[in-house]
Amino acid sequence: MQTPDFKGTHLFDRLCWAKENLEAHQSDYRVVYEDSIDECAKILVPDPNWMACAMQGGILPPVWVYHELAKDEAQPDFKKHTRGYLLHETEPVEAMTEEQAIEYLIMKDVPQHIWKSWNDGNKPKMVICRKEQLPSTREWRNAWKIADDINATDLAA
Amino acid sequence: MAGTIVADTLTHSTAGSVTTDYVVNGSAKAWGRYSHNDAAFDDSFNFSSAVDQGTGDARLTFSSAMVNDDFSCTATASNNSARICVFNEPSTTTVDIEAFGTTFANTDLAQGVTINGDLA
Repeated sequence: MQTPDFKGTHLFDRLCWAKENLEAHQSDYRVVYEDSIDECAKILVPDPNWMACAMQGGILPPVWVYHELAKDEAQPDFKKHTRGYLLHETEPVEAMTEEQAIEYLIMKDVPQHIWKSWNDGNKPKMVICRKEQLPSTREWRNAWKIADDINATDLAA
Repeated sequence: MAGTIVADTLTHSTAGSVTTDYVVNGSAKAWGRYSHNDAAFDDSFNFSSAVDQGTGDARLTFSSAMVNDDFSCTATASNNSARICVFNEPSTTTVDIEAFGTTFANTDLAQGVTINGDLA
């Protein structure tokens, strides 16, 4: 299905169109990251409807738009967004592969201090894996960590 | 866009009128049914991801951001062993949801979430 020309259309309206017209895509990819040594590993799960938007193209704004809004929100005197128009008026991004969509999602939803330095330190603090590579039960869920013996070479293999 | 109706007021033949502000401002801006057991959405709208943060604890991220972090979040749980559902640490792009069971410990349940407020 061809995406309508959505430039200048409110992002919420684009999402409404997508919900009505696109088939949700359940990705098998998971992003595991460690935000703090005192907390268990966190696991990012893509939303199936969002994945459909990313792979369709012409719906989602570029990821830098979210980074600009995050900068605004980080200001100490922040009360409300005044640059929300960036979400709606910026040219939407083109269709992505599933892998490109996951990379976009990492930059959007994983804290920047994680993905910008994922491989600094003794071991990677972020790993992209398949759902079946996670433990099959949630037993001891609150103690899950990224394996100590994993390294960037393993991840590239 | 085809199929667009532009109107500030809706008028019923006998029951009176309502401005479309009520419709726009009163509509949910995001909703989802999230299963802590599967760490996945069963269905949703206006979320880009869920982050499983541990047992009965998840962070949901919006696709279309809210204008501020003063929005309303209604959370429920679809299991009669649930005692408390809470939301906390809201930002304009995320909300954390937690489910607690009979022992008041975090518990993996299916949770329903609805967000009302103003979009950015």
